[in-house]
Amino acid sequence: MNRKVIAVVIAIWIAGVMYAVFNLVPPVEGLGNLVRLAFFHIPVAWVSVLAFLVSAVTAGQYLRTRQLKYDWVSASSAKLGLLFCLLATVSGAVFAKLTWGAYWNWDPRQTTIFILFLLYGAYLALRSAIEEEERRAAVAAVYALLAFLTVPFLVFIIPRMYFSLHPEPVLNSVGKIDMEPVMLYVLLAALAGCTALFGLLLSSSVAGKTIPSGKGMDE
Amino acid sequence: MKKSRMLCLVVVAGFIAYNIFIYQSSLTPYVTFAQARSAKSAVQVKGTLATPIIAQTEDRQAIVFALRDEAGEEVTVIYRGAKPDGLEQATGIVAVGKYTSGQFLADKLLVKCPSKYQGSVNK
Repeated sequence: MNRKVIAVVIAIWIAGVMYAVFNLVPPVEGLGNLVRLAFFHIPVAWVSVLAFLVSAVTAGQYLRTRQLKYDWVSASSAKLGLLFCLLATVSGAVFAKLTWGAYWNWDPRQTTIFILFLLYGAYLALRSAIEEEERRAAVAAVYALLAFLTVPFLVFIIPRMYFSLHPEPVLNSVGKIDMEPVMLYVLLAALAGCTALFGLLLSSSVAGKTIPSGKGMDE
Repeated sequence: MKKSRMLCLVVVAGFIAYNIFIYQSSLTPYVTFAQARSAKSAVQVKGTLATPIIAQTEDRQAIVFALRDEAGEEVTVIYRGAKPDGLEQATGIVAVGKYTSGQFLADKLLVKCPSKYQGSVNK
């Protein structure tokens, strides 16, 4: 499939989601119109976790096969993860200001996302410190695997263990989704759009590289 | 070989978890009133509304209410500012400020609202 066509489809999809967020989603009890922010905040947070997972899986693939293409996917995915992590943090801070009254108060969720941000910032620093390609790929892959081990703790466990001003995640411990159907569908559509956008960014970032043997990654 | 690798990962994960438990006090900024008494700087005390009565000065410049912290201690909180929305319905309240002579002077109130993704009555 042509990447340009996919890009256009995703753009139309996201435009549709934005229309739905501003026109179909009702204001809710307690949050009012602020609920619309969640349709940006939740997807970017989800994609950042997904990106770090992809980074770890492809790092494992690299260590198994020693093919540099996996290293590129791993590195690109970690970079994108960092970008989405930043978007989630900034949108979260704005959300916090509007709902709790402060941009930043070191709430458990804010603390853990900050640690996660530093972890993957260190990953990029590590990559730029090693010149030799093979060695860099191997060291970075091991780091990416270890860094991802902390993600479940930082993202899923700790924020649920302590009191946090952050609302119960939509997929709460009870396993009951407490959401009006229209909002749930719009949220799922936003998640799908954001995930597709991540896939597109990842594939174009990887396609920008060429394998020394002259065989491109682009099919 | 595969087994030893798995073991390594498990050990590392365990180590990370252990570290997190060691430093868990620094993972959350919220303290109880007992800890707030001995603190030198501003602290964040979390709790719930002890009584549903919130006194407000006539000019709406300050509010006074009783906050019950996690340990069950109730302390009067004085907040100079307009009453935040949803204070009565809050499932959790965080007061940021200082403990002085039996009262807690808050410069900031953070309110945790129950998250219901349901349309409001007045659509």
